[in-house]
Amino acid sequence: MNWKRKYQPWKHTIPAFILIGAIIIFPIVYTLYISFTNMNLYHWDNYGFVGFRNYIRALFKVDSGFIEAIGTTFLWTFLNMVLQIVIAFFIALGLNAPKLKLARVYKTLLMFPWAMPAYVSILLWKVGIYNTDFGLANKLLSWFGISKIDYLSKNVPAFLSCMVLNLWMALPFMIMMFDGALQSIDQSYYESAKMDGAGFWVKTLKITVPSVKNIMMPAVLMTTFTTFKQFDIIYLLTQQKGALTGATLQTIITYVHQKAFVSNNYGLSSAVSIVVFVLIILISLFLNKGLKEEAL
Amino acid sequence: MKRVISSILCGIMVTGLLAGCGNSAGTTKSTQTGSQKESSTKSESASATESKAGTTTSGKMQTVTIWHDGDESIMNTIETQVNTDLKAKNVEVKFEKKSGLTDQLKLYGNDEANGPDMYFYAHDSLGSFAEMNILAPVTDFISTKDETDMIPMTTEACTYKEKQYMLPVYYETLLFVYNKDLWQGDIPASTDDLLSYMKAHTDEKAGTYALVNQHSTAYNVAPVINGFGGYIIDKNANPGLNTKETKEAITYNQKFAALEGAGDYDTCNTLFNGKKAQAIIGGPWLMSGIKQAGINYGIKSLADFKLPNGNALKPYSGVQGVGVLKYAEKSKKEAITEVLKDLCNEKVGIALAKESNCAPANQKAYSNADVSSNEMIMAMKETTKSAVPMPNIPQTSVMWTPAEALLAAVNKSGEDVNKAADDYQKQAKQAIADMQ
Repeated sequence: MNWKRKYQPWKHTIPAFILIGAIIIFPIVYTLYISFTNMNLYHWDNYGFVGFRNYIRALFKVDSGFIEAIGTTFLWTFLNMVLQIVIAFFIALGLNAPKLKLARVYKTLLMFPWAMPAYVSILLWKVGIYNTDFGLANKLLSWFGISKIDYLSKNVPAFLSCMVLNLWMALPFMIMMFDGALQSIDQSYYESAKMDGAGFWVKTLKITVPSVKNIMMPAVLMTTFTTFKQFDIIYLLTQQKGALTGATLQTIITYVHQKAFVSNNYGLSSAVSIVVFVLIILISLFLNKGLKEEAL
Repeated sequence: MKRVISSILCGIMVTGLLAGCGNSAGTTKSTQTGSQKESSTKSESASATESKAGTTTSGKMQTVTIWHDGDESIMNTIETQVNTDLKAKNVEVKFEKKSGLTDQLKLYGNDEANGPDMYFYAHDSLGSFAEMNILAPVTDFISTKDETDMIPMTTEACTYKEKQYMLPVYYETLLFVYNKDLWQGDIPASTDDLLSYMKAHTDEKAGTYALVNQHSTAYNVAPVINGFGGYIIDKNANPGLNTKETKEAITYNQKFAALEGAGDYDTCNTLFNGKKAQAIIGGPWLMSGIKQAGINYGIKSLADFKLPNGNALKPYSGVQGVGVLKYAEKSKKEAITEVLKDLCNEKVGIALAKESNCAPANQKAYSNADVSSNEMIMAMKETTKSAVPMPNIPQTSVMWTPAEALLAAVNKSGEDVNKAADDYQKQAKQAIADMQ
C-alpha cells in the first residue's frame, strides 16, 4: 500500500515527463553538447570536443553592439508593456461599459490581429502600411500634402514602426485577459462606491485596478517575456535577407542571430544560445522574485 | 476505464511524436539484395517502388532522385527530356522539390536512407557542400570530353578547389528589361546617359520611374562593383567592401539609387508590371509576371552599357546544375553516369530554352533556330562576355548580409560611404572568422 502510494504520482506524471523531456529538455541538452564541439562547415562529420573555446568566443561577442542591443531590448520591452497594459485596460473597460451595444461583435473583431499568423501580419504591414511607394501611411501623408517618409530606413522611426505593429498584434490578447478579469469583479463594489459618490477615476483606481491586478499578473509576465525575446517583427520588417531597410535596430535576439547564426558554425551558435538562455533565465528569476515580494 | 483510455492516448501521442525519427518501410534499404535507396518522400509511384528492388544490371528501371528548390516547370522539362532519352537504358530521374534545399542537404547530405542521389541548385553553394564532404566530383562519372560543348564560364563556376562538383545545365544573369510603350528614344549605350535619362523621366512624387532596380541588394549592384574593378569577396575569401574601387562603385550606384524608389524586390516588380516604371533590372525569373501583366517588353544585355571607366557592366552569373551526393556514387554509379551524360548533350538545353526561356550551358544548343531567335536568351549569352561567375567559396554565404547592410546604410540611411565601408568590412571579416 505504501509502495503504491509512494509511486502513484510518478506513474501519472511519467508520460508528461517523457513528452517534456523530448520536446523541451532534449533540445537544450543537445544544444549544450554541441556548444562544446567544433561542429561547423569544415568539421561537418568529424567534429570533436573543444572544451570551453566556444564559450570564450561567445563572451567576446558581448561587445558594445551587444550592450546597445540589451538597452534597446529593455526599452522595447518597457515601452511595449506600458502601452499594451494601459491601452488594453481602457479598451477592455470600454467593452464592458453597461450600455454598449454589439459588444460581442467588437470583441470578435478585435481578435483578428491575434488570430492572424505573425508572418503574414508582418509582411502585410511592411508592404501595405510602411512601403514608401504604395503604403497606406504614405498615402495618408500625401493626401495632406506631406512628402513621403521611409519609415524603416532609420533607427528611431523603425523602432516606432515596429512598436506600432507589435501593439497591433499583441493588444487583442491583453484586451481579452483584461476583459475576463473585469467580468470577475463583483458589481456590488461599484454600487456601494456610487452611493458614496465616487466618480469614474476613483472607481477605476480604487476598485478596478486592485481587483484585476493579481488576475492579470501571469498574463503580463508571459507577455513581458514574449516581448523581451521578440524576433520576427524586427527581423522581418528591417533585416529580411535581400530587403534590408537601412535601420540597424538590434535587440538581444536579432543581434545574436546576426552574429552567430549566419556563420554555419553550430558549435559557436550553440554556445551563444546557451549564454542568452542563461541570461533570460536569470532575468526571469529576478522578475519572479520581484513579483513574489510585491504579492507579500 | 479512464486509466486505460488515458494510457492509450499517451501511448499514441508518444508514438506519433517519435514516428518522425524512424524510417518508413518504404525507405528501408535492403543490403542483402543490393537494393537502391529511395527518396524520403513516402508517396512513391508504383514504378519507383518497383525500382527499390531492381538494378540496371537486372534490367529493371532504376530511379535517380534529384532534389531541387527551383521552378517546377523547369524541372518537369528536364525530367521529361531525360526520361525520354534514357527509357531504353532503364534509368529514370525523379525531381522532388525541397524548400530551403541548402538546409535540407545539411540534414540529409550524409543520410543515404533519406537523402537524394543528386541535387539541382545554383552553383554558389557548391563550396559549402564540398567542404561538408557530401559531394562526389562529376568527373568521377563523366570525362572532360563529354563536356567539350559547355560554355567555359559555366564549368568554371561549377569547379571548387580544382574539382568539378556540378554539371552546368543552364545559367542566369541580370538583364535590362524595358517597356517599349513607355521608353522614349533609344536605350542609352552608357550608364552616364542612362542616369541623365532617369533624371529627366523620373517623378517620385507622381510615383513614376524611368528605371527600377534593387539598388541595395548585392547581386543587383554587383554589375557596377565588378565593372569598377571592385569585388564583394575574392577567390581567396578576402572581403572587398572597403577597397577603393568598391567604394567608388557604391558612390556611383548611389546616384541611381536616389531615382529608383524603395528598391526592394516587390516594389520594383509592382512598379514595372503596373506600368509605373519604364525599365527594370532583373533576371529571367521576372518574365512570367511581366508577360502576365501584358507588358510590351524589350531586352538589352547589361554588357551593352559602358561605365565611365570604359568597362561594361559586369553582372554575376548564376549557373544552375546538378551535383551528385557522395554515397550515391557507390550504389548508383551506372545510372547517374547515364543521367549526367544525357544532361551534357544539347537536347535538354534546347527543351529548356523553348519551354522556360533558360539559357543553355551547352554551346551547341545555340545553333537551334528557336534558341538563337529568343531575345532574352541571346541577351544572356551576350552578357557572358562580361559576366563574372558568382563566387562559390563557402565564405560567400556570410558576405551577403554585410554587403547589403553597407548598401542599405549608404542608399537608404544616407551614411558616409567610407565609414560604412570600413564598419561592414570589419563585420564581414568577423563573420568569415566565425565560420571556423
